[in-house]
Amino acid sequence: MNGAIPTIAEAARQIEAKQLSPVELTQACLDRAHALDDQLHAFVHLTEERALAEARAAEAAIMSNGPKGPLHGIPIGLKDIVDTKGIATTCQSKLLQDNIPDADATCAEKLAAAGSVLMGKLTTHEFADGGPSFDLPKPPARNPWNSDHFTAGSSSGTGAAVAAGMILCGIGTDTGGSIRGPAAYCGIAGLKPTYGLVSRAGVAPAAFSLDHIGPMAWNAEDCAIMLQVLAGHDPRDPASANRPIPDYRAALGGGIKDLKIGVIHHFHQTDHKVDEATQRGITAAVETFRGLGAQIREVQLSPLQDWHACGSLISIVERAAAYEEWSRTRLNDFGERMRTRLMLGAFVSGVDYLQAVRRRRELRSELKAAMAGLDVVLTAVFPNEAPKIDALPKWDVFQRPSFMMPFNVAGYPAMSVCSGFGAGGLPVAIQLVGKPFQEATVLRVADAFEKATPYRDRRPLAA
Amino acid sequence: MPVSINDAAFEYLLARAGLDLTDAEKAELKAVCDGIAAMAERVRKPRGRMAEPALTYSFAEEDVR
Repeated sequence: MNGAIPTIAEAARQIEAKQLSPVELTQACLDRAHALDDQLHAFVHLTEERALAEARAAEAAIMSNGPKGPLHGIPIGLKDIVDTKGIATTCQSKLLQDNIPDADATCAEKLAAAGSVLMGKLTTHEFADGGPSFDLPKPPARNPWNSDHFTAGSSSGTGAAVAAGMILCGIGTDTGGSIRGPAAYCGIAGLKPTYGLVSRAGVAPAAFSLDHIGPMAWNAEDCAIMLQVLAGHDPRDPASANRPIPDYRAALGGGIKDLKIGVIHHFHQTDHKVDEATQRGITAAVETFRGLGAQIREVQLSPLQDWHACGSLISIVERAAAYEEWSRTRLNDFGERMRTRLMLGAFVSGVDYLQAVRRRRELRSELKAAMAGLDVVLTAVFPNEAPKIDALPKWDVFQRPSFMMPFNVAGYPAMSVCSGFGAGGLPVAIQLVGKPFQEATVLRVADAFEKATPYRDRRPLAA
Repeated sequence: MPVSINDAAFEYLLARAGLDLTDAEKAELKAVCDGIAAMAERVRKPRGRMAEPALTYSFAEEDVR
């Protein structure tokens, strides 16, 4: 295969036309992984032989019967908190170094059934929390735009591997921004779907009522392709929604004329002021949307700090409950960052937790009222481009409110889309938020933005 | 205003959680306890006793319109 790594949509067209072989594509991704991963640490475990075998099987099937869908023969990766039958699933923890699941997570099963090629398991913060620890079995992932810099987390390996062209898409999970954050810092697209749309069965929990599974890919169209496979009811997940699944890709390309877009200015201009490049990206995005015929409105919500406090208290307690047994018996086997996060659970009372859950209902009602008459709302993902990986405050949860947590608290779909580059040459992003189960609208707006701006033409490391 | 935790309460809560920590870990944790207390204050609003929590997380039909 010559040239750049294609998007899923491009590769699927070429595969269907028999102009691109899944084996060639997989080998090109493997070559990039061999060349770059010593520097980026995106993979915990590269399943090279299996990938090539799956690619050969996909190629044979496609030659006989044509592709079963756009993911057939496409190299993907799974965050290493996603159970994979017969393949180690370590959650980047000493506690699970020998864990070989005997069944696939539902999302892994669905992607395999769609004919995708599993390239391996991707780096994560330990149990999808805690930050980039250097005392875990494998080193943290690094940013392909500048490897001295952070990827964000916890789906750090997925962000790095997609941006660097080692895979075409991957699974991320998001409890307070772990899909959208790495998507933003790595300059790709990442969608946290509505709570309940994508099954969490077989994925290690971080905080049960805030956890979401979703697609991370180079652009919105590829996220739509992936979501089509992932979405749907699953009786194995007690929070799984049973709703009809639309054709997400068919919703793209229709333009956004007369859509109504709300901007939560006070989140990123007052509550937690973003830097100049991020604000420039937001301002330019608003103008782009206006130019495409959308109507822009102002949205007012409770302060970002209220949303952040609500989500953080719930997250601290639910995580401490999920891992209580190991906290009591094997605390020192956790990495330092995860260990200290787990300790916080001791200091949130049952009443504090329930007050947060009561506040959650109020905040969700507030968002619902604010979005009446709107199609999407817009704010920042991060206040800046990615910082250096060794310059991250350990207790940032108490120092800066998250722009992403409000939509885990509410369970609404939210997406990170690249909106330019900062002074350091690293990506900045906007966040687009839709109404429950309106992922098609979020994807449509994101796709229109990507097509109206030049940011999808620039890739790191000549991917 | 949140009240800072005293040493006895701090030790009690750690023991109750079954956490066996070093002195350095205790010092670090104690330094962030005020942050948790501030968050807990933020979620307390005048709402009366009838205000139910969000105990179910799925969306009703009216939510999605």
